[in-house]
Amino acid sequence: MKLNFLITLTATASLLMAGCKYDNFEAPETTLSGRVVYEGKALGVRNNGPQLELWQDGHALKTKIPVYLNQDGTFSASLFNGRYKLVRMGDSPWLQQAADTIIVNVNGNTTVDVPVTPYFTITNESFQKSGNTITAQFAVNKIVPSANVELVRLYLGKSILTDQVQRELRVDGNTGTLVFGQSTSIAGNIPDNLKNLDYVFARLGVKSTSSSEYIYTAIQKIALK
Amino acid sequence: MKKIYIAIVLLICLSMNSCKHDEWFERDSKQTITDEQLWNDPKLVTSLLANYYNRLPTLHGVFNTGGMTEIDDAMWSGHRDQNWRNDFQFGDDYGRYWDYGFIRDINLSLENLETQSTKLTELQKRLFKAELRFIRAFVYFEMVKRMGGVPIVEKQLVYDFSGDPTPLQVPRAKEYEVYDFIFQEMEAIKDDLVPNNSSKTRTNRYTALALESRAMLYAASIAKYNNLMAAPITTPGGEVGIPAAMANDYYTKSLNASREIIRGPYALFNENSDKGTNFYDMLNKKTGSEVIFAKDFATSLKVHRFAYDNIIKSMTEDNESSSTISPSLSLVESFDYLDGTKGTLRNKDAAGNYIAYTGIADIFANKDARLYGTVIYPGTTFKNNLVRIQAGVAVWDNGSYQLSTSAELGKNYTDGLVWTGFDGPKNDATDVSNTGFYIRKFVSDAPAASTRGTSAANWWPWFRLGEIYLNAAEAAFELGQGEGLGYINSLRQRAGFPANSLSALTMDIIRNERRVELAFEDHRYFDLKRWRLAHVVWDGSENDPNAVVMGLYGYRISRPGHPDNGKFIYERIRPSRFRRARFFRLANYYSSIDQAVLNNNPKIVRNPFQ
Repeated sequence: MKLNFLITLTATASLLMAGCKYDNFEAPETTLSGRVVYEGKALGVRNNGPQLELWQDGHALKTKIPVYLNQDGTFSASLFNGRYKLVRMGDSPWLQQAADTIIVNVNGNTTVDVPVTPYFTITNESFQKSGNTITAQFAVNKIVPSANVELVRLYLGKSILTDQVQRELRVDGNTGTLVFGQSTSIAGNIPDNLKNLDYVFARLGVKSTSSSEYIYTAIQKIALK
Repeated sequence: MKKIYIAIVLLICLSMNSCKHDEWFERDSKQTITDEQLWNDPKLVTSLLANYYNRLPTLHGVFNTGGMTEIDDAMWSGHRDQNWRNDFQFGDDYGRYWDYGFIRDINLSLENLETQSTKLTELQKRLFKAELRFIRAFVYFEMVKRMGGVPIVEKQLVYDFSGDPTPLQVPRAKEYEVYDFIFQEMEAIKDDLVPNNSSKTRTNRYTALALESRAMLYAASIAKYNNLMAAPITTPGGEVGIPAAMANDYYTKSLNASREIIRGPYALFNENSDKGTNFYDMLNKKTGSEVIFAKDFATSLKVHRFAYDNIIKSMTEDNESSSTISPSLSLVESFDYLDGTKGTLRNKDAAGNYIAYTGIADIFANKDARLYGTVIYPGTTFKNNLVRIQAGVAVWDNGSYQLSTSAELGKNYTDGLVWTGFDGPKNDATDVSNTGFYIRKFVSDAPAASTRGTSAANWWPWFRLGEIYLNAAEAAFELGQGEGLGYINSLRQRAGFPANSLSALTMDIIRNERRVELAFEDHRYFDLKRWRLAHVVWDGSENDPNAVVMGLYGYRISRPGHPDNGKFIYERIRPSRFRRARFFRLANYYSSIDQAVLNNNPKIVRNPFQ
């Protein structure tokens, strides 16, 4: 009985194992990773917001491979080795280039920096807490001469993923008095539901009228206690 | 001798039964209808048309319970397997519609009527062709409002096996060319449709005008509002975007079509002196002359399950499902008060203290009667039974109210009175309202309508006079003509407002009137799109009461000895099943085109942001 059971088990196992080798496709193993950069610096974006696309020629039909960006502007995709075309999609906080294709040769793990031209950038940002107020000092720079600034905003949130969509407090800066390249500030009062936390996260965003997405600064953790 | 008889009999048998009549072998097939039969029999053509009418496209309409819960008017409170509707983002392909299979069917029918039909009279042929062309224009309208300019194909495209498919590759037309096509088609066929004028389920002259009224208004507002954006959404070839200079012409065309319908045989439904019930009856009953064109249903023949999906919890007649659509607080608050003030509900005073109301319905007192006709709120009735909506009991404890709800619906509190009503609302529950409201509009009150065995048979209005009034008002207002005020005031008077309740119009008033009058009729998504407001209203912001579906829970006060004991207070809540704020991005103004379409036809230009 015991022998029978063992034989059955072995037979079943060998049958099941043998099948797998032939009818499964190999999974892509190489990783293409990189950053979206302007002047060598990665740009902050909304989590789950702007996208890149990968395409590959040489097949009868095409299907895109969507590539999502992390909020610090990095991305990664699992691919087969080969030659890909990387495309910067529209409705992003940077210019949609007419000739927007970047050829990427993936051979083993590959890193690529994707240069973009944001409509605006925020530099020299700093956050100060005094009492219940958080004040952000920063400068907005105009990169695309024809762009118009629509909103400059300060965000406070509970989580490290803080942006236009996920946030507890949003304060609009005065775009009327904004001078590009010069230091300006936005102050926000910490809302009641955040006051008792150990720390909050702060971030600045600037939006041009040409796109529905913002360019953000790096997320800043601010200790409240 | 005997042999001779046998021989004779045999001979007779053989000769008699031989097949003199060949028809025996040529009987008509009982399975197939030939082209010749079909195109020469008006009854068969009509039943073919019935198939096409049944395929008229819609996004959130024709009792699409799920679709109705994907914008800001409602959330999904049904089974958890579809809770993604409360936790999704409009994808780039949201609303994608590209149905050239249907276009081909219609084109084929138009050609066959021409070539195969010999026995139909000229009048019959003209009528059938006009109906087919109406359906085709309707399909093109649905495509253009979702995708922008699409290829206009008016003939069958047949491959000639030459090895060269380029004659089949039709490029996209400009966006305005598709709207112009719809206008020209309607102008061309409207007089051929006059024989149908008594029908509400086949297109007639006024249906063609109604499509014209709606489509021209869309074209006009895209021409106007797209170009008012900081960065208008366009493609270099004009497949997307309409020049601003065309707006006035389109508004005029829309207004002319609307005026002709208003002068026609229709009248606003006004059969019940109770204004709220009247508004509900308008769509639930098939009487009156408000509805211009409807998709009809009939018990035991063709039914739908909108009542099964959405019947209020305590009145279910079947098991497993009910109460799926929970209307949002923002929809309820968009109904103004009858004295003309904004519809914001006053649940707390300026100092932030609850306002206690004597009856649970009192907070909704003196609201636009269309609220009653659209939404079931606490203290109202359905099918002549009082609804049992009450979230719980507010107990006074140490200087503030503690809100307490029972674990089970329909339980009594320790004081022997209702704790949580049988109709909820209950947070994080299935098949019971999560917002405190139920939908009344379109939910049939016919006997057994909410059972799956019988199902509902109320009809779906594609076009009704109320919309035409609003179209006319908007077009007239945009053209700077004064007649719009009268149209809006008649609609408001039908909803219980005094005569001439408004003295001036603004675009905001017109937009709000469209929201409340046409709620759940598959207008809001497209209205916000054509005004280029969708990305402003549904900004994805978790703190925005327009982008988030909120609810209002009513509690009975338990505070013995205090004058407020037994009164009701209301709390605004965010249902926990509602997970993600509505987020409409610029890319959603035109749905992305399927990659398979782009692969097959290299002449198709992508949409912006795709």
